[in-house]
Amino acid sequence: MKFYICIKQVPDVNAPLQIKEGQLLQDTDRMILNAYDASAVEEALVLSEKHDGEVEVVLIGPDKAKETLRKALAMGADKGTHIVTEDESYDSAVYSKILTAFFNDKEYDYIFCGKQAQDTDSGLTGGMLAMQLDLPYTTNAVGMEFENGSILVKRQGDAGQEMISVPSPGLVTCSNDMNEPRIPSLKGIMQSKRKPVDTISTGDLGLSEDDLAVRTQILSFEEKPEREAGRKFEGEPDEVAREVAKLLDEEAGVL
Amino acid sequence: MSSLLTFISVNDGKIKRSSLEVLSRCREEAERLGLDNEAVVVAPDASNYSEQLSGYGVSKVYVVEDPIFKNPLNTPLLKALDAVIEKAAPRVVAFASTEGSKDILGALSASRNVPALPDVSSFEVTDSGVSGKRPVMAAKILSSVEAKGDTVLVSVRSGSYDLTESSSEPEVETIDFSVSEEEIKVVLKEILSASGDRVDLSEAEVVVAAGRGVRDEEGREMISELASVLNAGIGASRALTESGAYDPSLQIGQTGKVVSPQLYIGIGISGAIQHVAGIMNSKVIVAINKDPDAPIFDIADYGIVGDLYKVLPPFIEEIKKLKVS
Ligand SMILES: Cc1cc2nc3c(=O)[nH]c(=O)nc-3n(C[C@H](O)[C@H](O)[C@H](O)COP(=O)(O)OP(=O)(O)OC[C@H]3O[C@@H](n4cnc5c(N)ncnc54)[C@H](O)[C@@H]3O)c2cc1C
Ligand SMILES: Nc1ncnc2c1ncn2[C@@H]1O[C@H](COP(=O)(O)O)[C@@H](O)[C@H]1O
Repeated sequence: MKFYICIKQVPDVNAPLQIKEGQLLQDTDRMILNAYDASAVEEALVLSEKHDGEVEVVLIGPDKAKETLRKALAMGADKGTHIVTEDESYDSAVYSKILTAFFNDKEYDYIFCGKQAQDTDSGLTGGMLAMQLDLPYTTNAVGMEFENGSILVKRQGDAGQEMISVPSPGLVTCSNDMNEPRIPSLKGIMQSKRKPVDTISTGDLGLSEDDLAVRTQILSFEEKPEREAGRKFEGEPDEVAREVAKLLDEEAGVL
Repeated sequence: MSSLLTFISVNDGKIKRSSLEVLSRCREEAERLGLDNEAVVVAPDASNYSEQLSGYGVSKVYVVEDPIFKNPLNTPLLKALDAVIEKAAPRVVAFASTEGSKDILGALSASRNVPALPDVSSFEVTDSGVSGKRPVMAAKILSSVEAKGDTVLVSVRSGSYDLTESSSEPEVETIDFSVSEEEIKVVLKEILSASGDRVDLSEAEVVVAAGRGVRDEEGREMISELASVLNAGIGASRALTESGAYDPSLQIGQTGKVVSPQLYIGIGISGAIQHVAGIMNSKVIVAINKDPDAPIFDIADYGIVGDLYKVLPPFIEEIKKLKVS
């Protein structure tokens, strides 16, 4: 059983940020493994422990994103590929193209992606990749198990959950509602330093500049319209509760 | 290339409000640019919705009808949309952002080789494609984005546009459809529905949301009672969907749903940015929390500092009185 997990390094949304002349300034030291991808790695590790599998991770990103690849290896992934690109303007379509080129000559049972990147919430790469590789897929997995050689995915839909069986080879995008990703142990961290990492370029995958042209772009950033803090009511619970209820009726008109 | 096409999501014989919001926006844009305002319905009973759509200034409805669409499966839907886009060649295909549309947006973008702008909070059609705004960094800030292409896919967060009505007599065009078992590739084994008769959270006019401060059955009963008095949808923070106290489909926020009610009441919720990301489209926000420094108070219109177990009983009682009078 062979799993490939696509992982992305993203800025920590909790870190302070600033917007100057439409540009986003943030602390580049606070980069993390995308939470949804961490859940995907965790799930693959659990499944491979149970079913004697192998877990490889692949990351596209700048040189400094290697630390994120190491983190996944420290969690327990067996091997990593780092496709180095310094271009920060790439969109999901470009990342999915690079991943498609990477997977073209690979053999695997399942590819897992995160359901979205937690900084941009795009959520496109997984579906694009599945289509380009012509794989059966499902999205927003909140649980998985093996059943008769296929993965049975519990998918969170709009109203309830759907049990969807995805045959191998296939692709699943993962929610962070699936599990609690393990924190790498000291031993895991030590071992990760000796695990194999392939470092390649998009050129190695046969991709040209034209192949990597974006059709969607972020032009600028801005503060969102401020939601002002309203009034705070403190005091006797009985009194404040009744007062706010009345205000909702008379002032806000929402009852 | 002279139309805007809105994908109409339906549920239990009704068009989802969020789709009508998107359709209303597309009509404004179509009028501004002199384009046709078209819609597509993909459902087992797709032809039943043309009448509901006639109130929204639609000139043409593409209908794809097949029993297979009873089930939430991506491949048949992709095939249907592929055929409709091929036929309509629209400038824009606009979706309400739901788990259903998120399931197919990337794949459709790849199969049609057209760009996609997911989860925008506003958009306009431009000469070269679409430009819009999207919340990023867990909705802490907005980004201005653009997509260039003859056809662009856009999905829109619920609550981003108001419904505007305008009557029309839409022409109905039925698209032939069939799909084989091999094409479907994945197998739907079972649908586990959350208890059915609840108010749909993403459409609810009032939302009562419970957080970790709601620590026991007694607390959950108070939540249910408040929700029933207000005819509200019940939502929850991740703390309570994770613990199993509430069904995962009730989670509000970055991982969960975006809600856009007139009134949102957060009870025992701290206001982590990932939760707040899902409630910013609420008109009025009320928070009940015993910690005066809880971040949710920074965005609440009315904040009650207090123990929810003491605040809720008189709150519910007073609302009951006000509702009767
Ligand atoms: C990638 C990612 C995605 C996420 N997506 C989501 C999401 O979609 N939705 C979501 O909700 N979270 C999400 N989270 C988790 C989020 O960061 C918070 O952990 C979560 O929202 C906390 O839930 P809470 O406010 O209920 O709990 P807590 O933060 O523990 O807050 C509980 C609050 O209850 C108050 N309280 C306790 N007792 C009482 C009482 N008796 N009376 C009144 N008040 C009381 C406390 O003062 C406290 O403020 C996500 C996190 C990540 C990393
Ligand atoms: N640069 C990248 N490297 C590896 N995987 C990626 C990259 N970008 C996106 N992905 C995968 O695609 C998922 C969705 O990303 P997005 O479409 O950006 O929201 C992520 O959770 C990853 O699994």
